[in-house]
Amino acid sequence: MTVPALEMKGLRKAFGKTEIIRGIDLAIQKGERHALIGPNGAGKSTTFNLISGRFPPSSGQVLLHGEDISGMESYNINRRGLSRSFQITNIFPKMTVFENIRCALLWPEGYKYSWWQIVSKQKHLTEEADRILDSINLLHRRDIPAGLLSYSEQRALEIGITVGGGADVIMLDEPTAGMSRSETTYIVELIAKVTEGKTLIMVEHDMPVVFGLADKISVLVYGEIISTGEPEAVRADPKVQEAYLGAALEAEEAAGH
Amino acid sequence: MTDTTATTTRAQSDHFMQQVTMWVVAAIVLMALPLIFNSGSSLTIMNQMAITVVFALAYNMLLGQGGMLSFGHAVYMGLGGFMVMHLMNYIEMYDLPIPLPVLPIFGGLFGMAVAALIGLFQTRNAGTVFAMISLGVGELIAACSIIITAFFGGEEGISGDRTMGLPTFGVKFLHQIEVYYLIAFWMFLSALGMFLYSRTPVGRMANAVRDNPERAEFLGYSARWVRYCSFVFSGFFCGVAGALFAINYEILTEENLNLATSGTILLVAFLGGVGIFAGPIVGAVVFTLLQTVMSLHTELWALYLGSMFVATVMFFPQGLTGLIMMHGGPMKLGNMGKLVVPYFKTILPGMLGLLGVMFLMEIVFHARHASVGDDMMSIFGVDFSSHSPVAWIVCAVMAVAGIWIAKTNAPELRQTWHEANTPGGAK
Repeated sequence: MTVPALEMKGLRKAFGKTEIIRGIDLAIQKGERHALIGPNGAGKSTTFNLISGRFPPSSGQVLLHGEDISGMESYNINRRGLSRSFQITNIFPKMTVFENIRCALLWPEGYKYSWWQIVSKQKHLTEEADRILDSINLLHRRDIPAGLLSYSEQRALEIGITVGGGADVIMLDEPTAGMSRSETTYIVELIAKVTEGKTLIMVEHDMPVVFGLADKISVLVYGEIISTGEPEAVRADPKVQEAYLGAALEAEEAAGH
Repeated sequence: MTDTTATTTRAQSDHFMQQVTMWVVAAIVLMALPLIFNSGSSLTIMNQMAITVVFALAYNMLLGQGGMLSFGHAVYMGLGGFMVMHLMNYIEMYDLPIPLPVLPIFGGLFGMAVAALIGLFQTRNAGTVFAMISLGVGELIAACSIIITAFFGGEEGISGDRTMGLPTFGVKFLHQIEVYYLIAFWMFLSALGMFLYSRTPVGRMANAVRDNPERAEFLGYSARWVRYCSFVFSGFFCGVAGALFAINYEILTEENLNLATSGTILLVAFLGGVGIFAGPIVGAVVFTLLQTVMSLHTELWALYLGSMFVATVMFFPQGLTGLIMMHGGPMKLGNMGKLVVPYFKTILPGMLGLLGVMFLMEIVFHARHASVGDDMMSIFGVDFSSHSPVAWIVCAVMAVAGIWIAKTNAPELRQTWHEANTPGGAK
């Protein structure tokens, strides 16, 4: 059996006496597109934060390509090939769009803490950053401060920053949050394009997006995964119907989708 | 896509040529300055300016580029200076074959070593924690300077003689002008070094960490080590500034390490503008000019400088450079002409009003502090009695009228400013 790209074993997290994550066991295979869904406050973002090293877990393990990364600093986890985006747009607002992308390329391209090279002289860096900008359709906004981009452009830029470094495990936290229908369609196409061949884990509330993008779905309720599997199987799972999906799908239908 | 890339590359090489031209022009100006300002006092001022430029730029590596507010940065300059002072004395005592112009390297390395040590714990956090630690370290070392007299020389500090070293190509640095070229050379080199640093990967990431440390960490960079790198390099250039100070003044005291000096450099950087590389240069030049020229003419100069800082912080947080850069928009749109009249109508009366206020303060100061019976004073060559009501009334009218006119015309300026920044001259 091949080693999963990402695996969680008995993952738990408590803040004070409150246990938010109550034992997650999940394996995500290489190349899989996995969606994490669940009601508000179920611990989806916390799970993301535990995996990406924003907080250390209280107990349990996170394995990236078989290597234990639990409790590591986020930059060490990133260097091992895991990259994430944030629910609230998290970019470098005062730097130009181009520079935002270029910052994402520096470590993976091996520049590290170099103070003996001039970045603008590294031709391949510029070309690569321009190529990524082109792929997220922001080339025409290249030289303006990222803080001046529209909301959906900022989200696209964040996806560009997240995948730009070439990490093979990509985590997206609600990439379509707060977007209109047409913007959502656009971002979903963009995600599908730029994560081609990579392992993708995403938190998403928008059911059409989830069922459109994901190969597998896990449903998180009160810090536990109550169901995981192919989208159709999860949709049919009575436990899911009861806990979450039924209500969410009804809401979708009521909204006229 | 290929088209865009080609244009970008061309734009970049244009940009590069522009920058090279700027540095070449700066070098020529530095070489030519003493030909224009050749008096002893102007050389003294320029030397002081150049030292402040290096220190302010080094300080801004932290504040502007890295988002670290340090209240104890005089430590690194001072220690570099003390080190070089000792070196100068050793050279004199043991006839060491070390020429004076290389001494700033040693000052820099010493500043760098100290920063490397202190940075280990100080750069763990930015923000308040960083500021508080810098304050503590600053106080600690300033206090040490009184206690460890072997290195710091106690209250009278340590002094030396720069002319006792090995002559460099026959130059013994007896004359101010020789010292000027030494300092100008090192200033140019340091400024270029710091500019290039801001263009390296770690220098770019310093900006990224300043803007959003968390995001930077999720891109593989430890925010702490990025800050550490800036801190260590800043320490180097502070040390260079200290060495130049030692060479220029031939004396260092506790004053070079203390909080007042650290505070001053923060103000210098802020006055010039921390957001732009050249900001601290402008700040250092303006500050030194005001300090030296104004202090010759009035005892209240510190009050004026202080008020200016407060005004800068309140009204132009981008500093003087930011104020100039603001005009890039109207300039591009070709609207600078529109601004001339409103500027004239607002700024001129405003200036007169401020002068009126200043004159009033001068008169009050003179009336209160001059020796009894000495009523005569002079402002801009006009002699009058500080007890004469005419003088009081003239100044008060000037102050009130000037400020009132400026205030009345300000909305017009604001309106024109808005128009000048709107493409196509919208209403």
